[in-house]
Amino acid sequence: MTFKLATTAMALLATAGTAQAEKIKFEYWYGLTGDLGAVVAETCARFNASQAEFEAVCVGQDGYEKAVQNTIAAFRAGKHPTLLQSFDAGTADLMLSGEFYPVTQLMADTGVTVDWADYFPGIANYYSSKSGEFFSMPWNSSTPVYYFNKDIFAKAGITEAPVTWEGMEAALVKVKESGAACGLAYAPSAWIDLEQFSMSHNVPVASNNNGYDGLDTELLFNTTLHVKHMENIQRWLADGYATLRTQAAGKTARDSFVEGECAVFFSSIADHNTIHKLTPAFAWDVQIIPTYEGVERKNTVVGGASLWVLSGKTEDEYKAAATYLAFLSTKEEQQFLLENSGYIPVTKSTYEALKAEGFYAKEPYINRDIAMKSLTWSEPTPLTRGIRLGGMIQIRAEWLAEVEAALAGQKTMQEALDTAVSRGNDQLDRFAQTYAGKSFP
Amino acid sequence: MRRAYFKFSWIAAALLAPQLLIIFVFFYWPSAQALYWAFTLEQPWGGGNTWVGFDNFRKILSDPYYWSSVRVSVIYALATTVLAMSIALTLAIFVDRQLAGYKAYRVAIIWPYAVAAPAVGLAFQFVFNPGAGIFSYINTIAPGWWDLSKYPWQAVTAIVVAGAWKQVAYSFIFFLAALQSIPRSLTEAAAMDGARPLRRMIDLQLPLLTPTFFFLLVINITDSFTDSFGIVDTLTGGGPFRATDLMVYKIYTDGFRGFDYSGAAAQSIILMLLVMALTFLQFRYVERRVHYT
Amino acid sequence: MIERTPILNIATHLILIFGLVIILVPIWLAFVAATLTLQEVNSAPVELWPGDQLWVNLQQAWVQSDFGPKFVNTLIVSVGVVVGKITLACITAFALVFFNFRGRMLIFWMIFITLMLPLEVRIVPTYAVAANALTPFQTIMDWTGISWLINAVSGVEVALEWNLLNSYTGLILPLVATATGTFLYRQFFLTIPDELVEAARMDGAGPLRFLWDVLIPLSKTNIAALATIMFVYAWNQYLWPLLVVTDRANYGMVVVQLSDLVPDQLTTGGGTPTWHLAMAATLVVMLPPIVIVILMQRWFVRGLINTDK
Repeated sequence: MTFKLATTAMALLATAGTAQAEKIKFEYWYGLTGDLGAVVAETCARFNASQAEFEAVCVGQDGYEKAVQNTIAAFRAGKHPTLLQSFDAGTADLMLSGEFYPVTQLMADTGVTVDWADYFPGIANYYSSKSGEFFSMPWNSSTPVYYFNKDIFAKAGITEAPVTWEGMEAALVKVKESGAACGLAYAPSAWIDLEQFSMSHNVPVASNNNGYDGLDTELLFNTTLHVKHMENIQRWLADGYATLRTQAAGKTARDSFVEGECAVFFSSIADHNTIHKLTPAFAWDVQIIPTYEGVERKNTVVGGASLWVLSGKTEDEYKAAATYLAFLSTKEEQQFLLENSGYIPVTKSTYEALKAEGFYAKEPYINRDIAMKSLTWSEPTPLTRGIRLGGMIQIRAEWLAEVEAALAGQKTMQEALDTAVSRGNDQLDRFAQTYAGKSFP
Repeated sequence: MRRAYFKFSWIAAALLAPQLLIIFVFFYWPSAQALYWAFTLEQPWGGGNTWVGFDNFRKILSDPYYWSSVRVSVIYALATTVLAMSIALTLAIFVDRQLAGYKAYRVAIIWPYAVAAPAVGLAFQFVFNPGAGIFSYINTIAPGWWDLSKYPWQAVTAIVVAGAWKQVAYSFIFFLAALQSIPRSLTEAAAMDGARPLRRMIDLQLPLLTPTFFFLLVINITDSFTDSFGIVDTLTGGGPFRATDLMVYKIYTDGFRGFDYSGAAAQSIILMLLVMALTFLQFRYVERRVHYT
Repeated sequence: MIERTPILNIATHLILIFGLVIILVPIWLAFVAATLTLQEVNSAPVELWPGDQLWVNLQQAWVQSDFGPKFVNTLIVSVGVVVGKITLACITAFALVFFNFRGRMLIFWMIFITLMLPLEVRIVPTYAVAANALTPFQTIMDWTGISWLINAVSGVEVALEWNLLNSYTGLILPLVATATGTFLYRQFFLTIPDELVEAARMDGAGPLRFLWDVLIPLSKTNIAALATIMFVYAWNQYLWPLLVVTDRANYGMVVVQLSDLVPDQLTTGGGTPTWHLAMAATLVVMLPPIVIVILMQRWFVRGLINTDK
């Protein structure tokens, strides 16, 4: 934070000196909090110190949800920021409203050059239109992986971390037989168990190519491999190969893992950094999420958030925002983010350069790029580009509530998923009715 | 009620005007807009809306999960209010006896009200956590007995206790203020008549507390309907399987998180009507027993 | 008191101590969390005894949140809210209780209903009002044709604007006009015996003199209680300041800064669970309200005037 003080001092000097042209300011509202929020604030300070023309005014909005909500409120009063950090599940409404300035367009209009082809397709596809135009700028990106306790695996005689679910089950059986207290620390997550699982298996979450091709979409996940997968998880829980580990159940999956109690847990690659900071007393590593045998594995998609440019601002503000976005995508800035979080690079050139420098060969970054392997496993198919569903947040909530009910033995998994689908479809109908006559760009 | 009044004059109007003006601008004007959405499908980014009449209400009222949400909200509101007010009253009466150290008690009991919301949820996670919290000691005696992810009644208990905890301080301070404004001459006269302290509490102090009691009853019930989001969000997230999905939490998650402004507006109207009905009942039936002058 | 009641005294202490334990356990746990390292605060079971990191955590939380100027801002807003609210609540309740006019109940209920729709539900349109507090009047004038009339007569285009974003007024004003205080004062004023009013009228005192000379001295404890509650309420405000203040350097409030320290908990977040810092900040943020509670103690004095018949 001494850095912040230094920049303030510099700013004071600048104003005290010769009558300098006032910097062009633009506002940026972001959702990240805690140590990641501090990283955003520092990125802004770095940008402001890097050049004299523009100034980013960065305002933390305490979480993605509130960032989007507050931006909507401000937008409707005409007082919104130029730039908004929004999470994936919150953007369907924004896309259909058309009240954003696609970044490809923005860069072209303001004459800022960005090599769009340099972005990883698994990331690019997620944030772009059907015609390949970027809606928003990828920044803090992640994808799911699983973390495993090497010591427990070694004791159980497992030499290689499995990449199939069959292999995972066999490993969990061995872990249990070796006398370990807890195999898989399981916490239901729609993002991992439903969305990313369906991507990597190339099965649909919803019709219309996961919603890309129209608003008259229906959920399909109660008819796919997803059902069998959830039934398997339920069986593992019943047989003691997995244990339910949520905050409400007493301990989160990550804490159960970090304390050396559970051998495996699934989470975002962004947790790689967190686990290092929590200094577990055992050897551990990460692996890509498994797929079932006999299924051709596909890529997973990006999670995290991206930066949206909103409509209705001045040319100067757009120019400033474009410069800031270009600044964020430089190798130095990507590296700064990577060193201070668990996120992954978004461009191929940065990734290659970092690899060549040996970035991923030293702690704490070793193997963190396994996420890249997962993300770039295949060229995206129509089913693995991503998901475009309105009411995604409610759909995730319905899924979670129903899966919880099934895991507590209140209904079968099939019944639970059927209910989640039918209630989710109500959400989709509602969304289609709200935006009658529109379609995703 | 009151028989002696001042005559209505411009003074009264001038006294009422500021508050009415502020609530008009900051409450009625915006609320009317928000409530209008209940009869439409509103696009969050302001691209317009379609009129749907009572469709939103029909959809909500035909959802069985919504009715269980109403039920648990009523249970939560009543349980929190009873718990908070009875603890607060007991503590206030005893602090009012002004025994040695009563100032320290007074500060300590008001303390929870000063704790910022994010910390309350976390502190109670520490308390109720079945694996690691204070309640984990129960589980060492009876393994698996306490599990917020399995037993709805336990989850409801947890949010009730946390909600009441926050409210105790609030009720306490007003009870205490009311007790303190009972003149010493009254209690002394009663003591002279030979009334023991406990008797004095019941015969003398409690009736004089009724105006405050009524105030707190109404405020506590209203508050527990409209202000329980934070506790649910940090403690249970509405789970397990919707058992703690209180009405206001549902409004937040649908509207605030999920951008379904119209559905949230319709739910808000239902919530408002429910709270208004309850308040009306209290004014109609409880206030009759209030001893004002 | 002249009497001796040893058994009741012991029982009193026992009850109070028991109550204290229940009330203070969560605060104690928050305090302990603020004294631990990142690793300790995230380990199970929960630590019950403090560690040695309190000072380190406090310093880091203080610097990271830039609490210094935020304390000043929050103090200004809180005092503004307390003063405004007590004044408004008092005069409104006075008008409602001591004047006889039609529509009294209607106005009371209109004020009361403001309790029933939380801010979060109406946040989007409320923001629009904060961006221009004169919007309602502008709209009404446009609808009723007054704007047109003015324009036609004087050639002046009516465009009222009063932007409350990033200002103390914007922070204070919406928090001032809620029903709690009015209701509390109503309850208190209703206990004032008719004889007092009649006596005042006999003396030829007008309503304002009656309010100032009789009612306000009588409501001292009520004012103290309300002031304490309102100060803490304003101090802990979070959502409204988060929304209307984007100029955090000049108008930032403490709890908004505190929530910035609370780690992200979304599945795809991946933030470090720095609860030790969040809890250290909680302790810091909690101090001024506690000081106020202690200061307000002096006002909790037993009433001297017999208000009963």
